[in-house]
Amino acid sequence: MASAIADTSFLIDWIRYSKSRLIFRLFEVIYIPESVLTEIRSERSLTWIAEGLEEGGLAIFPELPDISREALNLVARSRRLPIRPVDYPEAFCLVAGRRLDLTVLTENGGAIALASYDPEYSNVKILRGIDILYLLWRSGLINSFKDELEIYQQETKHIYSRRDLDRYREHLK
Amino acid sequence: MSEKILKEWIERFKEAREIRRRYANWDFIRSQPPKIRIALEYYIETGDFRTAAKMSNMSVDEFIEIAKESANIPTVD
Repeated sequence: MASAIADTSFLIDWIRYSKSRLIFRLFEVIYIPESVLTEIRSERSLTWIAEGLEEGGLAIFPELPDISREALNLVARSRRLPIRPVDYPEAFCLVAGRRLDLTVLTENGGAIALASYDPEYSNVKILRGIDILYLLWRSGLINSFKDELEIYQQETKHIYSRRDLDRYREHLK
Repeated sequence: MSEKILKEWIERFKEAREIRRRYANWDFIRSQPPKIRIALEYYIETGDFRTAAKMSNMSVDEFIEIAKESANIPTVD
C-alpha cells in the first residue's frame, strides 16, 4: 500500500465529508507536513487529525531543510507565470512527493497546474477528492461513485468543474 | 510551458472564479466589516484562501468555514 502526503486545501475539504475516515483504508500512512498542521485551528479539523494520529493513519512530516529549500525555489518559479502560483505548503508536498514517491493529496489549482507544466514534477502522482472517491468505489468501500460524489460535493461545498467530471464521464452515467 | 497548457489553465481559473462569483451570498458579504468583506471578495476573485485568511486575521480553516457556510462560496479549482 502506498503512502501519501496531504496539503491544507485537501484536508479542509475532505475532513467535512461524512465518510472521510475511509481514506485510511487506501494508504499505509498519510503525512501532514508541519507547515500544513500550523495552518489548521478549527475544532473539527484538529479532532480529525488528532484521531488519525492516535490511530496511526496519519503522521507528521517534519520540516526537512533540503525539501524546504527546493519548495521555496518552486514557489519562486511558479510566481513568474501568469497563472495561480503554488504556495509553500503545497510546494513542500510536491517536493516530498517527488523525492519520496508519495502520492500528493491536494485540491489546490496552483499545485495541480504546476504538475502539468513543470516536467520535473510531471511524474508526481496527484489525487484530488474526486479521485479518492473513485478509488474508494473501485475498492468496494463505497457503493456508488456517482451518488457519493454528489454527497461529497454537498457536504464539503466543493464543486468540481465540468472538465473535472469529464475525466470520469463513463463512471458517472 | 506550452501556450496551449497556459491558455487551458487561464481558462480553468477563470471558470472557477465565475462559479465562486455565481454562488456567493453577496448580501452577507456586503454586510461584513471591511476586513472580512475585502478578504471574501479577494478569495472569490483569486481562489487564494491563504492570503484571504491572513487578511481577515483568521486561520485558513476558520476562514474557509465562513466562506462556505455563511458566504456560500464553494471551493472550486
